[in-house]
Amino acid sequence: MNILQKLRRGQDGIVVGGIHEPILQSIVDFDYLAGKKRPSIRAIVTGTRTAYKLFFGPSEVLIPCFSSIESIPASLRLDIAWFLSLESGRRACDSVTHFFEQVPHALGAHIFAENVPEVHATKLLQRFLKTYSIFGPSGVGFLVSGFLKLGAIGGVSLEQIHRSHITEKGSIAVCSTSGGMTNELIHAVSDSGRRVSFAACVGGDRFPVFSLTDAFTLAESDPNTDAVVYFGELGGDDEYEIITLIEEKRFTKPLVAYIAGVIDEAFEEHVQFGHAKALVRKNDESARAKRSALRDAGVHAPDTFSGFLKAIDELSVPRGNGKMKKKEMSTSRQKTILTTRKITGIGALPKLVSGKKITSHGGTLFVPALLEALLGRPPKSNVTVAYTDAVFRLLIDHGGHVSGAVNTMITARAGRDMATSLSAGLLTIGSRFGGAVNAAAGAWLSGVSRNISSADFVSEWGKRREPIPGIGHKKYRLGIPDPRVLALMEFKNVLKKHPHSDFAQSIEKITVRKKGTLILNIDGAISALFLDILSEKEGLTNAELQTLVRAEFFNAFFILPRSVGFVAHFLEQKKNDEGLFRLPDELLHETDTSSHSRIV
Amino acid sequence: MARVKVSEYRAKRLLLGDSYTGVSVTKDTQFSVPQKGRYVVKVDQGIKKRFKQKLVVINIPASEIRKHIRAWSKKGFTRFLVEEYVEHSPQSEQYLSFDRIRTGVRVLFSTKGGIDIEESSASVQSFDIRGSEDSAYVSKKTLIPEQFVRTILSAFDAYHLAFLEINPLVVIGSKVWALDAALLVDDAGEQLVHGAWSEADYTESKKKHRREATVAELDKTTPASLKLTILNPHGSLFFLLSGGGGSITIGDHAVSKKAGSLIANYGEYSGGPTREETYLYAREIIGLMLSSKSKKRALVIAGGIANFTDVSTTFSGIIDALTERASDLAKANVKVFVRRGGPREAEGLLQMKQFLKHHRILGSISGSAARITDAVEKAIAYVTV
Repeated sequence: MNILQKLRRGQDGIVVGGIHEPILQSIVDFDYLAGKKRPSIRAIVTGTRTAYKLFFGPSEVLIPCFSSIESIPASLRLDIAWFLSLESGRRACDSVTHFFEQVPHALGAHIFAENVPEVHATKLLQRFLKTYSIFGPSGVGFLVSGFLKLGAIGGVSLEQIHRSHITEKGSIAVCSTSGGMTNELIHAVSDSGRRVSFAACVGGDRFPVFSLTDAFTLAESDPNTDAVVYFGELGGDDEYEIITLIEEKRFTKPLVAYIAGVIDEAFEEHVQFGHAKALVRKNDESARAKRSALRDAGVHAPDTFSGFLKAIDELSVPRGNGKMKKKEMSTSRQKTILTTRKITGIGALPKLVSGKKITSHGGTLFVPALLEALLGRPPKSNVTVAYTDAVFRLLIDHGGHVSGAVNTMITARAGRDMATSLSAGLLTIGSRFGGAVNAAAGAWLSGVSRNISSADFVSEWGKRREPIPGIGHKKYRLGIPDPRVLALMEFKNVLKKHPHSDFAQSIEKITVRKKGTLILNIDGAISALFLDILSEKEGLTNAELQTLVRAEFFNAFFILPRSVGFVAHFLEQKKNDEGLFRLPDELLHETDTSSHSRIV
Repeated sequence: MARVKVSEYRAKRLLLGDSYTGVSVTKDTQFSVPQKGRYVVKVDQGIKKRFKQKLVVINIPASEIRKHIRAWSKKGFTRFLVEEYVEHSPQSEQYLSFDRIRTGVRVLFSTKGGIDIEESSASVQSFDIRGSEDSAYVSKKTLIPEQFVRTILSAFDAYHLAFLEINPLVVIGSKVWALDAALLVDDAGEQLVHGAWSEADYTESKKKHRREATVAELDKTTPASLKLTILNPHGSLFFLLSGGGGSITIGDHAVSKKAGSLIANYGEYSGGPTREETYLYAREIIGLMLSSKSKKRALVIAGGIANFTDVSTTFSGIIDALTERASDLAKANVKVFVRRGGPREAEGLLQMKQFLKHHRILGSISGSAARITDAVEKAIAYVTV
């Protein structure tokens, strides 16, 4: 069974060495458009992170990253058949060798780097030529339409993959020494109404491991391939391998070839062109000599590129009926920039109060000890303990979007430790984020102790042009109440009096009439109920409550539980380390300094 | 990436070590050799057929060395080699070369060495070996002492050598003299040979144009590929091409249209250069074009359908370079002809079209729907009308 048959039976798992974002994304785009159930990239070997995010169709997937081939779990290794080396030329040979030693059941590899030393390439050749298909060094890799895109081959943008129809099975094989011309030929085939069966870029290096002999033998043995189109260049004598194959009847399918390089004749002496091999050393290595040798062997090898395109068009290979069944995919996708997990769910809030009784018996050891530490004496009431317990539970996390969590995650991704990352998150807490619990407590306390009417209270804040702390929400509004606030408000049922909560709710009644989102929010509810519980169940006087407000006591009930959430986000970053964070260009609005430095 | 010729001096130092007594000199080098000896002096700049060009003198006394070096220096040569003259008969001259091939090393050997090896190719034996483990076999077939063969073949892998030609080679008993040696190294191995050879040893048989040298320097600083070779500074067709294969195909089209003599330069950028790198590359070609005395000039910005080189990014760099000289280009009546495909093709082409139109230098513009030869074809028509 050859590699094409094995591939078409599903052996498409790729492990990538190194990262080249557009190439990786294009491989996964190809997979999605070809109708695969999962990305062919199974793992990435890189030292800088533990996961890499790519789009698979409209949604994102995390590809696991490992620091070495050895650290890829055995179960995952079994699923890998290909290695894509995007590493430097000096490292490529070692890492490919290492890959095959570790994953001996694999089928092949592609080396993207251009400057692989000849000694390295010939070592790979001597060791692996007979066992594995190694595309390169240099070039753009190997493509089997609908099954495998191993490298940049066929383009890296969605538009290119769409236009070149490489996700559809075809009948013409493309072979080229040049990466760019591989793509040009793929387009020429699809523009002629046919599709590519497979495309092999042997690369422009002097010693391609997967040789022209390998490519043409593969084409001959592939029942799906009816003909081959080939692009070669001056320099080297590899094309004579094709002639040998034809003479020995080991290649019998129609072949159209273009050998580039008559421009060399315009120079006084032979020129080293772009590719390492593209230098004529002997007469039989010139483009003209190779064209005529191919023609002598019966190959259609035109002298001009337009003649070559015409010959492709005239190949007696049937054309498709033009009806394309293609998966559509939106090209405007916004990549997410951070990854974390849902730390707590607020969907299933426990019933905190049943009738006039708290459901929680307050039997934890931690919360009473914590309250004792904060109040300076043990709590007197189970209600205080149960309430604190409930607040803590609600405030552990509110998703990865909020400033503190974002700061924690960015710091973690900068490689910093837990204490540093947590601190970065905590430093965000203030009047705009999280710190409103204490401010709201101050507001309610002042309103109730002065016995001011809610209308006057609202206009007081209005005159100061300041938002009332504890009021307002981005998402919830009148008619869509915050379930957390509803759950907490049930604590009113276990209290005889609840002046602060009543006051807060009376404020809400006024503000929602101005704007539906100006509801009593979680900070406002927590602080109002806390004031009621502390005065009724703990016997604190108004003056004592004032002192607590001044000391910022109430913010502790945000900072303490939220520290747990920040630590959880921190741990998540360390688990799926995506490397140093950088804001994508399109998410940053950069203005010219000159545009806002107008000084009159 | 490519095979590069190093100086004969470096070649012999590598292969013979401290036992090699030759001296590498420039015009101003102070050196002393025993006054009694007889010497060979040659230009050591990788030039082929030095004998025919009279760039070698043999069997001269020490007192004449300076005279020859001065004369060659006046002709612009800069690097010379002084060696002891080895007395031998022309019949004892042999030919030996090693060439790295897929399976190991190809050895060519002839007992008829000297300067006419190409004419006596019938006498050349060719055989392929794996490497230094086959030294004894090579020695048996050529009668060259095994130690000498082994030294060379060990150096071949250790120093990333690609091709070595010793012609003539003289063997007298157990002693071997490499009278003339040409060595190509694999430049991808430079970082791996620990200074055994370096870029300073590369020879240039042809003096580089200032702009070629600038591009070569730039090429070293990027993983992308940037190449420039000047054919005719006063040509009419200036190539700003992309892709190793695509650039040759486009150049071929000019040759096949009998416009080869109009080509000013060959070159290509590929491998995803940044906007800044493309800008620095493009400005050299634009500068070259503006100093051409040709009355009708066209700039061909063309290439295949890129796999991963971003068209918009690279075109932004080219536009940066064109912007600097936009009025000069319009004044010189230069027209720009474009064909390019690849990632962000539509954006790149649109930017370029708007720019060229605005500055009235638009010749034609097309994308991957047009043939790769579209731009060069129209450019030839423009400059030959």
